[in-house]
Amino acid sequence: MALQDIGNRQTAGVTLRRLHKSFGAVEVLKDISLTIEPGEFVVFVGPSGCGKSTLLRLIAGLEEVSAGDVFIGDTDVTEKDPSDRGIAMVFQTYALYPHLSVAQNMGFGLKAAGRPKPEIAQKVNDAAAVLQLTDYLDRKPGQLSGGQRQRVAIGRAIVRNPDVFLFDEPLSNLDAELRVGMRLEIARLHRELGITMIYVTHDQTEAMTLADKIVVLRAGRVEQVGAPADLYEDPDNMFVAGFIGSPAMNFFPAMMGNGGQIELGGSRIPAPVLSNPPAPGTPLTLGLRPERYQIRTDGPAPHGLTFQVEFTEYLGSSSYCYGTIGDGLACTLELPNGFRPRRHDVISLGLDSQNMRIFDQSGLRIR
Amino acid sequence: MTAIDLQQAAPTARGGRISGHRILFHVTAVLVAAIFLVPLIWVTLASFRPTAVSMQPPIPPWPGDNATFENYIRLENFGQSILHYTANSAIVAIGTAALTVAVALLAGYGFSRFRFPFKPLAFILILSTIMIPFQSILTPLFLLLANLGLQNSLFGLILVYTTLQLPFSVFMMKNAFDSVPQEIEEAARIDGIKGMRLLWQVMVPLVLPGMVTSGLFAFLNAWNEFLAALVLLSDQDKFTLPVLMTAVRSGRYGAIDWGAVQAGVTVMMIPCLILFLILQRSYIRGLTAGAVK
Ligand SMILES: Nc1ncnc2c1ncn2[C@@H]1O[C@H](COP(=O)(O)OP(=O)(O)OP(=O)(O)O)[C@@H](O)[C@H]1O
Ligand SMILES: [Mg+2]
Repeated sequence: MALQDIGNRQTAGVTLRRLHKSFGAVEVLKDISLTIEPGEFVVFVGPSGCGKSTLLRLIAGLEEVSAGDVFIGDTDVTEKDPSDRGIAMVFQTYALYPHLSVAQNMGFGLKAAGRPKPEIAQKVNDAAAVLQLTDYLDRKPGQLSGGQRQRVAIGRAIVRNPDVFLFDEPLSNLDAELRVGMRLEIARLHRELGITMIYVTHDQTEAMTLADKIVVLRAGRVEQVGAPADLYEDPDNMFVAGFIGSPAMNFFPAMMGNGGQIELGGSRIPAPVLSNPPAPGTPLTLGLRPERYQIRTDGPAPHGLTFQVEFTEYLGSSSYCYGTIGDGLACTLELPNGFRPRRHDVISLGLDSQNMRIFDQSGLRIR
Repeated sequence: MTAIDLQQAAPTARGGRISGHRILFHVTAVLVAAIFLVPLIWVTLASFRPTAVSMQPPIPPWPGDNATFENYIRLENFGQSILHYTANSAIVAIGTAALTVAVALLAGYGFSRFRFPFKPLAFILILSTIMIPFQSILTPLFLLLANLGLQNSLFGLILVYTTLQLPFSVFMMKNAFDSVPQEIEEAARIDGIKGMRLLWQVMVPLVLPGMVTSGLFAFLNAWNEFLAALVLLSDQDKFTLPVLMTAVRSGRYGAIDWGAVQAGVTVMMIPCLILFLILQRSYIRGLTAGAVK
């Protein structure tokens, strides 16, 4: 069965214009403007409490907007009821109706809308086939595993035939293995349905693998919007640089030296090409991804650093090595498979200036 | 240290241990059950004893070979038929339960899910009325009902009982609603269900155990209540069963008719037992709802 048969969908984009949200005196979302293209998979990430769920709930209409507009397609839905916005939502806690069977759960919205029974049955069966739930249609949610419950929740959303699909941390109650499976499932659904999806998570693997576009939020503001690779390679500020990527980017306090050099922990290394280099003597922060280095075997290089190993975490295909560089600055490296240094070994690192990211003292990127 | 042989011929047989604890547990449980059951059985047996022996020490409790229905016949012949009084009691008890559940459902929903001014204060005021012994306000209650023309009416009694029952029931229903996750309601809003439909189609099935519990409490309390019924009802054909019992007890010539009382008590127990047996599963769930996640 083709997924497209479930309904003729015309997916819609979402536009947020100068959105504010306060709970009492606390402003949790501050001036959010964002454009989401039709069919795009957008992931909201950010630390706990930054307002991801609140933003999603504003789009869903479950929370009232304090100021600003929400558009779905070309329609201003800011004042509309959730059920009139053409959205469907999947909750972290599944939020299934415990007293209804799987089939009734999935068909509940259509039944409430007064659709004819055969149509409901048809759509529920189609969605159940897609999600491999056909054998469970008569069960109650309490008799299902976590992964099956989450599939029912997704099925309930599909049956609504929405313009926009909203997910709030849908996988965080599942165990690691199931999470990977469901992640692939959601990616497949997006490919086959071609529908706009907005997905909240704080798991950056989910964000990186699923997203066409990642929106990084911090304390109610958008820090950066971009494709996963853009955020990884070209972060706008230290927060995004540190938040995206695992293990996190290393940050070292450094200083702009003379002649295009950077002074770092007693060594001088060539600075990357900057269009707007700061004056010599300016303190700055140098960021380095844990895998962007070469191991030099020909002794300490003139433009390199030495790394002293503290301990290593073995992960199979690679290992994470924690240690210090220069005068004791903490540093994490991702070591290739087969390279297993011992404690207090000293590794000589070669750095490519292209791989360095430079930030000013307020944490903004210097390009 | 000697190694444990992991490959021994058969696994050590387990299970079937009868520990001292378990025996003690069962003995205690049987004793406690007996303490609760013996008076009920005793009353039932005594109701079949002929009048002649009903004043004698009730040992042995069983009526022997002169078992008789004469107590029941006397009960039946007192005033209207016993069915009439049972119907009175049933109207009052069912009416109280229904009204209590209906009001407590809405009030509990309001207190659990809506924001309004002075909500905590209102809730505490409602709860604090539990602390007023209702006997102390019986006179004003009587006057109030008399002014409303509701004295000596079963409906008036239902209103009084419901009022007395509501604080506990509202508390119970608020807890029941509090234990329903917010997301379920939100999912329903996305599914396009709101207002009374949301309450009826989504919330009621989830708080049903709480409704059963508060309904059952209201029913039993109304069924057994005596003082208010005695004060408010003056016509003999309006009497509820507890009031009837006192009327029956004072038999002819000042003698106390224990036999008829035993028979009446036995009759009174039956509906409560049946109701409780039917509803006990939901009832127990309702009491512990929200206790553990
Ligand atoms: N109903 C509410 N009333 C008051 N404050 C709220 C309410 N809902 C959320 N907040 C506050 O808004 C902020 C953002 O909450 P939100 O749930 O959006 O965070 P989040 O990014 O989804 O976090 P998490 O990753 O932990 O889910 C938090 O500081 C939270 O305390
Ligand atoms: Mg959240």
